[in-house]
Amino acid sequence: MNYPLEQVEELKTYCSKLLYFEEAGYPYFRMVGLRLPPGCSPAEIEALFCPVDRGDGYPSRLFFPEQVSTPYQRNWHVNVRLGERNWVAYSWKVALANRSLADGLLELLISLTRP
Amino acid sequence: MSMERTSRQSFLGPESDSKIASVTVGVVGLGGGGSHIVQQLAHIGFRNFVIYDDDVVEDSNLNRLVGGTSTDALSELPKLFVAKRVIFHLVPDAIIRAFPLKWQECPQPLRECHIVFGCVDSYQGRAELEVSCRRYLAHYVDVGMDVHGSDPPVVGGQVVQSSPGGACMRCMGFLTSDRLAKEAARYGDVGARPQVVWPNGVLASTAVGLGVDLVCDWTNIRRPAEYLVYDGNKGTITRSITLRNLNLEVCPHFLTSDVGEPIELEL
Amino acid sequence: MIEIRLNRGLYEAMLTSLRRPHSFAYERVGFAVARRVEASTGSSLIIVSEFIPVADEHYIDDPNVGARIGTEALTIASRRIYHGRSRAEGIFHVHEHGHTGEPILSRTDARELPSLIPGFKSVGPTGPHGLIIWSLDNASAWVWLPAEGKPLQVDKISIIGAPISIVQRRSS
Repeated sequence: MNYPLEQVEELKTYCSKLLYFEEAGYPYFRMVGLRLPPGCSPAEIEALFCPVDRGDGYPSRLFFPEQVSTPYQRNWHVNVRLGERNWVAYSWKVALANRSLADGLLELLISLTRP
Repeated sequence: MSMERTSRQSFLGPESDSKIASVTVGVVGLGGGGSHIVQQLAHIGFRNFVIYDDDVVEDSNLNRLVGGTSTDALSELPKLFVAKRVIFHLVPDAIIRAFPLKWQECPQPLRECHIVFGCVDSYQGRAELEVSCRRYLAHYVDVGMDVHGSDPPVVGGQVVQSSPGGACMRCMGFLTSDRLAKEAARYGDVGARPQVVWPNGVLASTAVGLGVDLVCDWTNIRRPAEYLVYDGNKGTITRSITLRNLNLEVCPHFLTSDVGEPIELEL
Repeated sequence: MIEIRLNRGLYEAMLTSLRRPHSFAYERVGFAVARRVEASTGSSLIIVSEFIPVADEHYIDDPNVGARIGTEALTIASRRIYHGRSRAEGIFHVHEHGHTGEPILSRTDARELPSLIPGFKSVGPTGPHGLIIWSLDNASAWVWLPAEGKPLQVDKISIIGAPISIVQRRSS
């Protein structure tokens, strides 16, 4: 794993447990008990955060085990299998260039509540 | 299986019958490509199958669904049943584990396969099958065809063999960011693509040929990987330029030590 | 149904290592690191990911047996299981019999090898541990699964590469 320790520590503050794995050369942070923004349901959920472009044109992605209920409709068209589990994701592009992992995650989380 | 049945394929080697009988093959997608593959595998004598398809036979499939009939379309028979019928008519004692699901909904049986033939529509789907095959040490053989353009239309396709330890579909230039991104931009919808039986037949036959060689080693070629490009207008199959020029010792995307379920590091 | 699976590259490296001559040992020994996954109901797949040959200097000169390894070799193997315990890795004692046909446990094998397993289990309680014996054209293996006290004979050993080679136990 090639991420600065301080960025990883910062990421940990968003969830109750943080794990990391790689698959097909891409990095994934599995965040157990990720706290979602107000207005989303459930309040806490497991998520998979990929901070790089997996070749699909999205610079980063946040995957969930199931669709999250959000204040505004999101496009939940992505169904993928990663780390031997099935995940869903919504379409929102957040580039991580010059941002920390946590900043990128935060932007993705905020996007759940944007009109 | 009687020796008479396989007497004409004795060139595959003296123990080819038992080798073929001992292998478990997976076929994911039993449409135009997968239905051909299943039929050919059964003809050759494969008897251990794991097959997946969650779709039913429709009239629009009958221009290419091997084994499918008008009655099947009228009754909306699951494609899975068509495949099982084809196999059992040739190999009555075949062991078929058949799942009317997407393989991701019931992935464990696929792990038992030594060769998985992927006949799916999406690049994302192909990528996921490849990951599974690398995790559980199986060869992955992918087939697909497409028709694009007009005046005249261009018929193309590919057969890709991605094997543990060898170049993967990304290394070989088949799974590209461009393809994945375009697919993602269409929200994964691959649409109703043009499909006809004869290119499917060419590609399926080529794929099965690769599979048989992996089992019987009758050519002694011993491919660590393969990427064959089909030009349906010219009627040619040639090795991809990317693979021809690939100078790769080790695939950087799949470590040979990264097998089994994901290894997670708690941070 | 239990199947052991390994990559042909790893298998060939393993055999090359096992077939190197030793100054006094008649046979060579190594350890294969493996993980177990569930396949279909009741089926297990044991995937070998690594081979650790026993170093030349860790053999003990005993003319009464094909190969005798010292405590240093076992310590290295145990250490490897310990480091892999969070990944539920296990270890298999591996050696080759120089004949064709299905290998069976020699009297020495049967007397001495199973006694290694409790030690492996104590270090890596969640991993599969066992024995693999290659012959010139066949193989046999036994596994002690975490919940099982007794060994299970492996039904199939598959070498995945070009070509695929599958050894299936006659009675399975």
